[in-house]
Amino acid sequence: MDTMDPACAAPLATLPGAKIDTDNRVPGNSGIWVGIFCVLVEFLLLFIVYFVAKAHHPEAFQTGPDKLVTLAGVTITMLLLTSGYCMVKAVESIRRDASGAAFRWIALAFLLGCGYPLVKYFEIRWNIAHGIDGETGIFYTVYYYLTLNHLVHVFWGLLGLAWVALRTSRGSYSSTDYSGLEAAAVYWHTTDVIWLVIFPFFYVLR
Amino acid sequence: MGHAERVWLLLIALTLAGAWFAETGHAGWPLTLLVAGLIAVKGRMVIDHYMEMTRANAHIRHVLYAFATLVPLLVIFTHGWGDLLRRLTTLN
Repeated sequence: MDTMDPACAAPLATLPGAKIDTDNRVPGNSGIWVGIFCVLVEFLLLFIVYFVAKAHHPEAFQTGPDKLVTLAGVTITMLLLTSGYCMVKAVESIRRDASGAAFRWIALAFLLGCGYPLVKYFEIRWNIAHGIDGETGIFYTVYYYLTLNHLVHVFWGLLGLAWVALRTSRGSYSSTDYSGLEAAAVYWHTTDVIWLVIFPFFYVLR
Repeated sequence: MGHAERVWLLLIALTLAGAWFAETGHAGWPLTLLVAGLIAVKGRMVIDHYMEMTRANAHIRHVLYAFATLVPLLVIFTHGWGDLLRRLTTLN
């Protein structure tokens, strides 16, 4: 059974004195935030690798995005943002004790999230067919390393969504006890935030 | 249309606008500043509205805000002061 801070029990809109800096709530649970901070540090280090590589090879990073499929990056961004929106609606639903609606939103978030590895699979197939692999140049080495690393974290997120979907379908969450569902949601949103950096790095910035 | 829907639509619109700007041949400082701005704005939108950080523990919020601020600044720094970064990260 998930436990929850009493401050988290009521729907946010009804919390008294819901002002910045005063609510002090921890969305989800403390454990998930330890994991999220580790992920942020990991990707910040990987972004520094990107910046250093770009500083040493500016031409490669200026022309590199031209050979990648921008539509793939845009599609992944839209899938993740829409999937994230579904998780917002899932949390809103469980706060109203609407378990059925919450389950449907989580299921939709999961399905949209599964679109990411699918798009990535076709993108990498296209890349390889056009001679773009990890040894094509420094830009593509960093591109594969960062995007595939992000994909691994998306897989963890998808596993989390599948787990909370199962628990929601069994009625394990309610308006007074939904920290597990919210923990999965904030982790999923973290993968959004990181992708919003990765996407322009490789598909937009020149 | 609810708040979540408006945020989602704006995020999608900003994504498409950024990609369009790059695809129409823009590069250099204009694109760099746009990308840095989009990372900061879109990151803050997800952090504030999807993750509900405006109502969250201040320590958690500050870490996420720092992440969404530092990365765009590094984008600008790398573009404008790439030579310095290269010198700082060259061995020997």
